[in-house]
Parts: sequence; C-alpha cells; structure tokens
Amino acid sequence: MVALVLIVPLVFGLISFVLKNKFVNRVALLGSASLFVLVALMVWLGIDWTWLPAWLLMYFKFDSIGLFFFAVMSIVFAGVSVYSLSYFREHNLSAHHESVYILEILAFVVAMAGVILATNLALLWVFVEATTLTSALLIYFEKKKSSLEATWKYIFICSVGIALAFVGIITLSMGSESIGSLFFSDLYRHAKQINPVWLKLSFAFLFVGLGTKVGVAPIHAWLPDAHSEAPSPVSALLSGTLLNSAFLGILRVQDILVLAGQQAFTNVILLLTGFLSLLVSAVYMLRVKNYKRMLAYSSVENMGIMFIGVGLGQPGLFAAMLQTLAHSFSKTSLFLTSGNIFQRYGTKKIEDVRGLLKRDPVTGWIWIVSFLSIIGIPPFPIFISKFFIIRAFWVNGQGWLALLFFLFMVVVTFGMGNAVFRMTFGDSDTESTGSVKLALSAYLPQIVLLAALVIAGINMPNFMNEMLSKAAAFISRGPTSIVKIAGK
Amino acid sequence: MTDILIIILGTTMLYVSSVSRIEAYVKTLAAQGFLLFLLVLVGVKEMSWLNVAFLVFETLLVKTIVIPYFLLTVIRRNETPREVEPFISQFYSLLLASGIFVFGFIAAFWAARTGSNIKPLYFGISIGMMMLSLFLIVNRKRIITHILCYMMLENGIFLLSLSVANKLPMLVNIGVLLDLFVAIYLFAIFFNKINEIYDGSHVDVLTELKD
Repeated sequence: MVALVLIVPLVFGLISFVLKNKFVNRVALLGSASLFVLVALMVWLGIDWTWLPAWLLMYFKFDSIGLFFFAVMSIVFAGVSVYSLSYFREHNLSAHHESVYILEILAFVVAMAGVILATNLALLWVFVEATTLTSALLIYFEKKKSSLEATWKYIFICSVGIALAFVGIITLSMGSESIGSLFFSDLYRHAKQINPVWLKLSFAFLFVGLGTKVGVAPIHAWLPDAHSEAPSPVSALLSGTLLNSAFLGILRVQDILVLAGQQAFTNVILLLTGFLSLLVSAVYMLRVKNYKRMLAYSSVENMGIMFIGVGLGQPGLFAAMLQTLAHSFSKTSLFLTSGNIFQRYGTKKIEDVRGLLKRDPVTGWIWIVSFLSIIGIPPFPIFISKFFIIRAFWVNGQGWLALLFFLFMVVVTFGMGNAVFRMTFGDSDTESTGSVKLALSAYLPQIVLLAALVIAGINMPNFMNEMLSKAAAFISRGPTSIVKIAGK
Repeated sequence: MTDILIIILGTTMLYVSSVSRIEAYVKTLAAQGFLLFLLVLVGVKEMSWLNVAFLVFETLLVKTIVIPYFLLTVIRRNETPREVEPFISQFYSLLLASGIFVFGFIAAFWAARTGSNIKPLYFGISIGMMMLSLFLIVNRKRIITHILCYMMLENGIFLLSLSVANKLPMLVNIGVLLDLFVAIYLFAIFFNKINEIYDGSHVDVLTELKD
C-alpha cells in the first residue's frame, strides 16, 4: 500500500512528463487520484499487501490518525484533479505545460503522503521540507510577477521555519539519549524518560517550524500571498491538504509531550496561537480586498480553531478532527469556485465582482453554500465542531474563553459574509471573460464535496464517525468511544 | 583540537557580520564547510565508516565546494553592485553579533546544568551561529545575502547535530541533504527570476502583495 502511494504517482508523473500527450496526462492525473482514494479505502477495510523490503517499510505506516488525514487528502486531491481538467481547458495549456503541472502536483501529493505516513520524526521533517520545495514550483506555475514574489516569500519563510524545526529534532535527541531513536513508537513508549526541559525546548522549536507550514499566527506571513497567487486548484490543495499534513506533524509531536505528562504546557501554546490566529484573521477579514486572500485568512482562522480544539485536550479532540475534515472540504470547494469567478471576471478584487448569481448561477450558488459551510451554518458539520468546541470550553471551566471565541467567529462571519454577498448579488457592469459555459468539471467536485458535508452534518455515517473517533482517540491515547452526535 | 575548530567557526560568523562585500560571504561559507569537514575528521573514531563517508561527502564536497561555487556563479551573473547593504551599520552589527554569542554561551551553560551531557562550546557557538544568521537575514537588503545566511544557518544546525551522540538513520541523512540541495537550487532559480523580472534584487522590490 505504502509503495503504491509513494512510488506509483511519481512514475505516472514522469511518464506523462516524458510523453507529453494530453490523453496520457489525464490518465496519469486521474489515475493517481483514484489510486489514492482506493488505497485509503483498502486500508480502511484492512486489506494490505506490499512488495517493499521490511527495512524500508518500517519508516512508513498507516495508523488510525494517519489513515484519517490520508483519506481527507485523497478525497480533496481527487476533487482537485477533476477540477484541473477545467483549469487546463480554460487556460489553453499545451500538453507540455499540462505534463509539467501534473508532475509537480503528483510530487507534491507524494511528499504530503510521506509526511502523513512517516513513522520517524526526522523523516517527517524531510518530507515537510519536500512539500515546500515541490509546491513552490506550483505556486509559480502561472509565471506572473506577483506569483514570483509570493513564491519567494513562501519558499524562504518556510525553509527557515523548517530549519528551526530541525533544531527541535536535535534538541529532542539530546534530551532522549537513553532512547536513542526518533521513531514515534519509541518516543511514545519511553516518553517519560525524556528530559522535560529538553522536551519542552524541542517542542517550542518544532512548533515554530511546523507551525510556519500550518500557517497559524504569528508565523502565517507567507500564507495569504501563496494562496492568492497560486492557480486555484493548487490553492485548494495547499489549504485543504498541505496545512493539514503539517498540523498532523504537530499532533504527533504534541503526543510525546502528552505521554510525558506535559500536556498543560502544550495546551497553553496551542490555545494561545489558536486565539492569536482568530484575532489576526478577524482583523484582516474586515479589510481584505482580494477574495482569494480572504479565503486564505479564513484558513488561518480555521487552523486556529483546530489548534484550540486540540489545546482543549480530550473534550475538544473530536471537534478538532471534524473541523479538519469539514474545513478541508469546504475550503477546497471555495478555492475551486474562486477559480471559476476569476475565469468570469478576470480579477481577484472583491469590489470588481458583482452579480455573480446572474452571470453564472451555478458558481454563485456554490460560492454561497460553501461560505455557509465554512462559517458553520447548520446542517454543515462545522456547526457541530464549533458547538463541540464551545462545549469543551465549558467542560474545562473556561467559559469566558468561549465568549471570546464566539466574538471572533462573529467578526469573521461578518467580514466574509459581507464580501461574499456583495459579490453574488446585484448587477454586473463589466464584460464577462472566459468561455461562455464552463465545463462540468468546474462544478462537479465542489458539488460532491458539499453534498458529502451535508450528509455528514445531518446524519453522519457510522464509518465516518468511527474514523474521526479513532483519530481523536489516537491523540488522546484513550479508548475509542464513538461520539454521539445530535440526531443519531 | 575540536575546541579550536569550533572557535574559528564562531569567528567566521563575526567576520561576516563586519564585512561588506558579498563575495567575502561566499568565501566564508566555503571556509565554514571546510571547518565542518575538519570537525568530522577529528570525531571520526566515534562513528561508523558509512556515516563518516557520508559526512565527508556532505561537508567537503557539498558544503565546501559545490554550493559556494554554485552561488558564486549566480552572483557573478546577476549582481552588479557587490555590497551587502545592511540596514544597521557594520560596527553595530558586529557589536550585536558579539552580544548574540554571549547569549549563546549563557544558554549553553544554563543547558549544561539541566543534567544532559551536552558540550557547552558546541552548543553555545551553534546557537550563536543560528541566531546570528537569522539576524543577518533580517538586517541585509540584498536577496542573495538571504540565501547565503540561510546556508550559514544550516551550518549552525549541522554543528549542533554533530554534537548529538545518537546519529540519524542514513535514509534520513540522505533526505536532509537532498532537501538542502534542492532548496539552494530553487533559491537560485527564483533569485535569477527576481533579477530578470524586477530589475534589481533588493527585498524592497517584493512589496506588491499586502493587505
């Protein structure tokens, strides 16, 4: 299984790069995406086989939380692949440019799969840096002046951040000399033997490094630039999967501290950065003038919510996992739709987009519904996750923080809603750009993702509940208890 | 012997914070690579031959020759003015650099008291190198100096990792080196692009994207 996701897509990418044939390109892209979904499904069903040597296999493993993140990534990637077909068509890409795009995107996805599956902390680091390097090329794919600036900031800030994370790895091995290994299983088993001072120090470094990739405040500087300048399918992939994989890295490291009895320390850091992210996104949401940057700040906000969920400890974990899933799906839908809007209006400025519902009703409605999903209007699952988080504040006796949380939510919702509704209603006074009718692939992924979210929000299927609960239980090290959700 | 090498390594950082020519930075970078190579040689008997071979390859070939030479060609192709153009003058840079090293040593002696068997000189100098590189990144206007200081940051981290008794698995070592190599390569590509498109390589040109 591991070999399938880490090697086959790269081979596909290279084949398409060499052959430069439009049909082969599509097979490579959609084939890899289906492969990811298929592998996620098979691992979930317990089917496993491999032909890799054992010494290599011990570096990669599907555990319950890894499987959850992998499944989310696979579905988002599948949606992005389908949407890419429309992107190719609208931008009249040549077979050569298509194949470059496909090779880069497949390398990026494989690097993320490496982050999710790595069983060794240092190997996880290697793959996190690899995600930066592969995605930098994608952000610069359209070769505009502004995308160059965004790419430079992205690659430099993230590389320095990741370099600091490596200091964290070194300090962790200094504090755990008796363990002598950086495999997560060894670190978890002997967590109590690690010198607490060094453990905390290494967490601080790793948190800054991986947090830079997650894009939480105050180390989010690259995020709005990169998300707004990348091609829309790439922005969707960045927001829907890259941020998650770095988040998973933090969860795995945080787990060591939980097992070493240092949870109070990590919780404070997670809550503090979480709330800071909410503050930053709330402030910028009110003044942002570019709708893709607006979505990027919404990502900062949502990653902040996930941090808060984890920082609340046991009561907030399920909510954090649900938030991860729902944010990935909703934000993918939003970013893909922003690509449609850009096709129609040729601008990323909020004030220049008017009357979206009249110009392209389907895009307009998807835009509104995705917005409702991301801010957490019932029946969308973000409502449930935010509700659980507010409840967790109460359970922990931090009710006043719930009030603050709620206040930030209101500001963000107001800022984002203001922009979304101004864009969708009214009459447009500019000429339509792009083709008269966008291909079905420009709408289908969003509709499917939103439909899945509605189903999850109204009556969550058992398998989904089980997957989320298992992932939450993995972090808390507690027994898996299936959470009862209202309506079940 | 080890101590002398580490002290020279620290001195190179003080040197870069006081010079103004970019090529002096590249030469310092190569010198640091060579000093790290000597450090590996000094500690050779504590390691397996595979590890030694790899570290020699990394320090002597990659850090001393390939990357500095590569960056030098990039600079000769692109940069007309060859000054680093600091925000803060060289004198104060040097003063701050010394201060940072003092801090590094305080941190090192504090760390030594926690019971871990770390070597204060290793730890202090590498912390100082890392912090000073970060300071230089912030304090220099030219984008190329950012790349050079990023490499010095990596050297500081490498020094720290040399002091860790348990070595990383070879697979990880190779991955780390590959990442570093690709990173520098991409930095150079994008640096060339910035030069082409913006007609200059100051950080000030990169201020179009903001809210």
